[in-house]
Amino acid sequence: MSAASVSTTTHEPGGAGTAAAAPAVVFRDVAKSFGPVKAVADLNLELHPGETVALLGPNGAGKSTALDLLLGLKNPDAGEVLLFGSTPQKAIAQGLVGAMLQSGGLMEEVTVREIVSLACDLHPHAYPVEQVLAAADLAEIADRKVNKLSGGQEQRVRFAMATAGANQLIVLDEPTTGMDVSSRQAFWATMRAQVEQGRTVLFATHYLEEADAIADRVLVMHQGRLLADGTSAEIKARAGARRIAFDLDGAIDEKALAALPHVVGLDVTGPTVRLRSDDADATVHAVYAMGLYPRNLEVAGLGLEQAFLAITDRAAADGATAGEADKEAGAR
Amino acid sequence: MKTLVRLEITRTLRNRKFMFFSVLYPAVLFLVFAGSTPKDKVVDGTHITFVAYYMVAMAAFGAMTAVLMGNAERIAQERQKGWVRQLRLTALPGRGYVTAKIASAATVSLPSILIVMVIGALAKDIRMEAWQWVAIAFATWAGSLVFAALGVAIGYVATAEVARPISMLCYFVVAGLGGLWFPVTGWPHWMQEILGYLPGKPYAGLGQAMVLGDAPRAKDIAVLAVYLVLFAGTAAWMYRKDTRRA
Repeated sequence: MSAASVSTTTHEPGGAGTAAAAPAVVFRDVAKSFGPVKAVADLNLELHPGETVALLGPNGAGKSTALDLLLGLKNPDAGEVLLFGSTPQKAIAQGLVGAMLQSGGLMEEVTVREIVSLACDLHPHAYPVEQVLAAADLAEIADRKVNKLSGGQEQRVRFAMATAGANQLIVLDEPTTGMDVSSRQAFWATMRAQVEQGRTVLFATHYLEEADAIADRVLVMHQGRLLADGTSAEIKARAGARRIAFDLDGAIDEKALAALPHVVGLDVTGPTVRLRSDDADATVHAVYAMGLYPRNLEVAGLGLEQAFLAITDRAAADGATAGEADKEAGAR
Repeated sequence: MKTLVRLEITRTLRNRKFMFFSVLYPAVLFLVFAGSTPKDKVVDGTHITFVAYYMVAMAAFGAMTAVLMGNAERIAQERQKGWVRQLRLTALPGRGYVTAKIASAATVSLPSILIVMVIGALAKDIRMEAWQWVAIAFATWAGSLVFAALGVAIGYVATAEVARPISMLCYFVVAGLGGLWFPVTGWPHWMQEILGYLPGKPYAGLGQAMVLGDAPRAKDIAVLAVYLVLFAGTAAWMYRKDTRRA
């Protein structure tokens, strides 16, 4: 079923990381503006076959523009976007890419089965229609008209269209929006099966727990720039994985506290000191070594959500940090 | 691609309102206009009978309705709703969408031509050589491609809200001034000269010439060809612009 004409290396999980395989996605110095608004600036990025990547960012961060550029729906003002070593248009024409966009409309006045057959017919390496319908949990509503579906059902039709054939890269823009909890779980179960077959999956999401649970790499975008790029654990660590809070009597030497080992953030309010540290044990030890006696000591972990907020807030407050983070991300 | 064309045709056939206007409406109009006219009455300034004149005019009118009204609004709506965008994420070649639209419109326009001609032959006793029937049907059908291209061009120029009014306007101007509803042969000569350069009159002219056993006039064919290039060129240009913007 997976037609042999595609480079066979990426069809099996084991072959996904072969040295010869071109990166699934390359963004090289990509920029895109709409009038005075820089939607995407200096974006450098490489995704490798077999990765599951979450794209995070507040509204207006440039995620949708980045996905449009990736899929060739928009052309960059500068730089280049390559999918499997060729242009997005060519990769799509070869059936290497499946995509599910929020803005994607559906053909009306036809049944679910008809629109899915269309997607299968257009895909160079299509799966059988019934299999696609079953995988997207559409078998029961296959004879219903597309314009009579609920929001979640429409999402599943878009998903079916995106997975009508053996793609190497699957791009999903907020795929679970409008789905209830059980369909959301079913959805990610289907996606995991795709990943196990060595596919590259890139998804934008608002649900950070999805990113935490599913992605093995997380990208954080803010104001058109890439702020952070790493595993979910690394992102948490970047933001300061742990929060340390305590009260101190007397004068507080902020400089000395900020210079403590592994401290990445400091906030002093009255007698209360809040530190963010990427190694809480070492930091707490150093606090005692300074001869301080912290009271009401608390150490707590940061979730990905807090880490994400910490990173984007910091970027909003401090432009220089953003530039640095960008360079760091680009160097990967 | 085959599935896309097939789906476009199926959903058009499922759309009863559209089928009524493009297939039955011209046939009904033909019966009404030609209803009480004596069989041998000739249109002023020509040798063509009223019934034959209306048969050709209504066949052209029906074909034009099918290809123009269907496409313009649909394309504008589907662009707005993101279906065109969705299709661009498939391996469908860029022009596939427009090709499917025109192919399906052309398929639907054929019955509206044939029904009017069958009524003409059976109910109105129009008698012609076999080649005339075939050639008129074919010329009317082929000529409708000009208006299919116009429909696509409007669909890409206009937003969903104004696509219908714009195509209605084009439709009335082309049909009315082209003599599709009533003969314009009694109008002043200079006016007819001008109308000859609008697409409606040359379009109807193809069939009218053949009813009399003549070949279509070269000037009519040339005018239609220019419009085809103009409309198709606009459609292609807007399509590329839309692709960059979408």
